[in-house]
Amino acid sequence: MPNIRYANMCHWKSIPYRQIPNFREFYYEDKTNSAYYSDWDSILKYQSALGFDGIEIAPWDLADILPLFGSPENFSAFARDRGVEVIGMFHGAHASHAADHFDEAVRSGREAVDTIVRFGGTYMNTCPTQNYFGTGPLTRDEVQNCAKVMNEIGRYATDHGVKIGLHNEFFCAINLPNHRELIESTDPALVHYCIDTAQVSILGEDLLTFYDDYHDRISTFHLKDTASSKQPDSVRYAQDPEIADDGHRWFWEPGLGELDLKGLYRLLKKHEFKGWMSIEYDGSPDLLASMALTRYHLDHELRPIYD
Amino acid sequence: MNTDPIAISLDLINRHYQEPNRNRYESRYFWEELYTLIAAAGFPAIEIPYEPVWQFGGRSGVPFNRYCVNTKYGDAATYRARLAASGIDRVAGITFDPNLFMRNANLDFFFGATGHFAGEALAHAADMGADYLAISPSAYYGRIAQYHPDLEAKRDLFTERTVALLVGLAAKAEDLGVTLVLRNEYWSLFGGERILALAEALPASVKLDLDSANLFIAGLSATEFLHQHAGRIGCVHLTDTAFVDTADVWKAPNPEFPPDRATQVFRDPGQGEIDFAQLVAALDQAGYTGPVTCSARQTRDPFRALLRTRAVLDRLAN
Repeated sequence: MPNIRYANMCHWKSIPYRQIPNFREFYYEDKTNSAYYSDWDSILKYQSALGFDGIEIAPWDLADILPLFGSPENFSAFARDRGVEVIGMFHGAHASHAADHFDEAVRSGREAVDTIVRFGGTYMNTCPTQNYFGTGPLTRDEVQNCAKVMNEIGRYATDHGVKIGLHNEFFCAINLPNHRELIESTDPALVHYCIDTAQVSILGEDLLTFYDDYHDRISTFHLKDTASSKQPDSVRYAQDPEIADDGHRWFWEPGLGELDLKGLYRLLKKHEFKGWMSIEYDGSPDLLASMALTRYHLDHELRPIYD
Repeated sequence: MNTDPIAISLDLINRHYQEPNRNRYESRYFWEELYTLIAAAGFPAIEIPYEPVWQFGGRSGVPFNRYCVNTKYGDAATYRARLAASGIDRVAGITFDPNLFMRNANLDFFFGATGHFAGEALAHAADMGADYLAISPSAYYGRIAQYHPDLEAKRDLFTERTVALLVGLAAKAEDLGVTLVLRNEYWSLFGGERILALAEALPASVKLDLDSANLFIAGLSATEFLHQHAGRIGCVHLTDTAFVDTADVWKAPNPEFPPDRATQVFRDPGQGEIDFAQLVAALDQAGYTGPVTCSARQTRDPFRALLRTRAVLDRLAN
């Protein structure tokens, strides 16, 4: 058994069909490649064929997945039949910095944990509170409010066999000035950390230093590359910066950006990391091509260092 | 019919479902180039779906609600100036459907959120100088039934609350000078001929949408519908389909994607079974002079759809 297993963070937009029994007929209707991106049967087969044995779903997938499959359990069984397991679900802890939102933030987090358990997942990577624009800068007390919410959700998650991992975006109210303060204000036994390699680099952390400093808190990764490390406040604190007006991509497939991912893998070996690593392809124009390019890079550049 | 002022709906961009290159649709640059291509395809006007979802999660590059327009352009006037500079003279209409808010069994949430955002859509329509707000009066029948398995027993309750919501919107629409129009989707709780009873309960200022594909799927003739309700048609959608619903797909949770047999329900104009020449002749005969909008919803290729639609209109003009 390898030390690292690979998953994909689900960035497929709505997939309208479970399976297409009349695939050829559907294709011939307008003779485009849409048919190849319209059913979960194909999507999961792509993953399985390329060696991604896990999928991390997102809460916004539920509105489509649940009507299509009837229940989380049914979706997981369908995926498992194709060699893919649901490892967890992303969660956004909206307004967790606000003291008067504590109960709602904890309730919402617990519900998400319950959903993950039904999918058979064990990870809940959690974005602490919302975007910086309109919210930041946070006071010290507000950072502590976030920590309180994370600890409380973390306690419930741990009791239910789920690890929550803080997951910071480069444009969140938890940002460079208070990123480490939040981590250190949470209980290491209850709250872990998911390193999104590109996000923390754009945020302004040095990826290798950050992992070295917090390696014992790391539950999982979102692995992706970037060519835009250390963005200034004017970018990170702007309104809605995640999708750039001019089509600039913050995120690239491993090997297509500038991060020292080989250095990261040497550190993974040093700290004997064991667990899941999700690849993320947000911003990609072609998720299937991204998946294949990533598999090549993993097999030829990164896994030879540590597997 | 003079086809020159006919609008095209921006619903030809498949922003919700997966396909290669879909990521472009969330960036401002994509839309700003699209406007010029729409104009180049001979359309001087657009229809905009009002979609609150882009207000959440930082996706304001999709110009489909007031928040997004204000975030990217400052205000509606600046956005309209951008359209004009791209060759788009008018926003003919705004559409709104409440499917996003049918996500649990709480009817207060559904009607509260729908009322709030439909009101936003209406104000946005006024800011855009649009002729109409075409509203879907219900969420997908099948999606409602998921959370309300006793939907048929609750039909009167849904109708009462829908009427109350629409009466309020109608008054606001009159004040704003925007025509409130009921969409008539085949998947609606008020689909097909059921829309008529709903319309009867509303002020006469509330008009009906004549949507050729939706009527076809509901088993109704668009020309018959026109003859029967000519005085109450508030806008016309030239849409195409070849879909015949033999399995009650209209009651499915995601009715635009028939679960047992994959098919493209809405075809690009000219690719389905709708006889546009006959429909346009009937509109002329009825003396209809209101807004007409083409839609290539569910297209597999928006740029091919633009030109396919133009080819249909060119044939009508000749």
